[in-house]
Amino acid sequence: MNSVKKIGKVLLSLSGVVAIWWLFALSDAVNPQLFPTPLAVWEAALELHQEGLLYSDLNVSLERAAIGFFTGSLLGIVIGLLTAQTRFFRFALNPFLTLLRPIPAIALVPVAIVWFGIGEPSKYFVISYTVFLAVWLNTHHGMEHIATTYLRAARSLGASRTREFFEVVIPAAAPHIVAGLRMGAALAFLALVAAELTGSSSGIGFRLQEARQFIRTDRMFVGLIELGILGALLDFIFVTMSRKIVHWEHL
Amino acid sequence: MSDLQKSNSNLQAVGCVEIDDLSIRFASPQGREVVAVETTDLRLEPGSFTALIGPSGCGKSTILNAIAGFVSPSSGSICVDGKAVTGPDPEVGVVFQQYALFPWFTAIGNVKFALKRFRLGREELQRQAHEALKEVGLGDRASAYPGQLSGGMKQRVALARTFASKPKVLLMDEPFGALDAQTRISMHELLLRIWDAHRTTVLFVTHDVDEALLLSDRVFVMSEGPGRIIDSFEVQSDRPRVVDQVDEHFVANRNRITKLLRQSHADSI
Repeated sequence: MNSVKKIGKVLLSLSGVVAIWWLFALSDAVNPQLFPTPLAVWEAALELHQEGLLYSDLNVSLERAAIGFFTGSLLGIVIGLLTAQTRFFRFALNPFLTLLRPIPAIALVPVAIVWFGIGEPSKYFVISYTVFLAVWLNTHHGMEHIATTYLRAARSLGASRTREFFEVVIPAAAPHIVAGLRMGAALAFLALVAAELTGSSSGIGFRLQEARQFIRTDRMFVGLIELGILGALLDFIFVTMSRKIVHWEHL
Repeated sequence: MSDLQKSNSNLQAVGCVEIDDLSIRFASPQGREVVAVETTDLRLEPGSFTALIGPSGCGKSTILNAIAGFVSPSSGSICVDGKAVTGPDPEVGVVFQQYALFPWFTAIGNVKFALKRFRLGREELQRQAHEALKEVGLGDRASAYPGQLSGGMKQRVALARTFASKPKVLLMDEPFGALDAQTRISMHELLLRIWDAHRTTVLFVTHDVDEALLLSDRVFVMSEGPGRIIDSFEVQSDRPRVVDQVDEHFVANRNRITKLLRQSHADSI
């Protein structure tokens, strides 16, 4: 009942937005060529579907995002553990990674194209790079700021280093790691579009760019809405999962 | 000393803590050297209950942390049963003011964490963990997470966890400081009951005069800046002691401590 109510509220709110959009698009304030009505966007979506592009773009983009996300987050967690736990890795990597952090993914696209061409590897590179930095930072931070009393309690209760690591350090850092993964997932989408806008021949980002050449704003809106829904869905999945993984944080 | 205590200490003269010429200095964030504890001697008899009382920041927790092996002495020595303390050891259990329960484990999971060092079988582990929780009256909350328990219950789980690892010495750092008055009274009764059953040597750090006099055989009084022990005496009052029916020893001791603390506070400002 409660969740039905919630979904109902969301749908009601969204239909309000669509209604205002529709009225605005029909008014004389805007050129319908540049600002399509919801109906025109719906028809564009159907057209893309009939051309077989809607599904294949979605598929290609999701695969890129997923591969980049998994590579980046795996690396982020492993390097994060290393830099937080060993002095050598902290010394060797932290200053460099801190310099890398402010470089936006989009600035990396030209380099990625030169290095890896316009094929899939350049997308994986840009996405996993972005995800890696977010996950690394959160993992490192989470492991570095574990309450001393947890470690003291573990040691005075006779836990070995291995048990301390798996039963205290990892769960204590888990909320930060999970938050890093959630942020990483959102950034994976940003990096994905950045990588697809230039130098690619498929995917949601490419379709947006293609529509620009034909001034097909209706098709562009399809792409934007797709990205919005995907991102929101993904975030919802991550929030639900993190509630299960770090359940004690939500008591 | 009662006959029971005597026979107990003869039976297992373990949990003897000897501190000789201990001093602990830290570097402050500005690089200045801060003397947390000035040359101190202290002895905890096996099976005894000792309170260490003093104002906040006088270094009493630092002494406790040094016995626990969390901080190293700058000079002097700390021995538990003749063995120098070099780091945290399960023979020396600690109960923290902020409980330090692992929130990702259930109550029984926290107790099992302490029992794991004995390498018991699954069933025996479960049985002993449950037994420990029953001893603190939480047998029915075994599967609750710390986040679902009240402060008093959390500290009871922490007590069960620490006793489960069978320490010879138990260090308690203002363990009931965060609890309300009623809960604190029932925690005192519980602690004394468990202590009576296990006869672990206890060092109880507090800034509450009544708490120190209700619980302990011996009281050490500390002053601040730098931390040092300024007085120590036996508490003669008969057990069990009840806070609303105190005897003349209790009143005299309370006055003695309060006067000391007031004087040392006046000296330091």
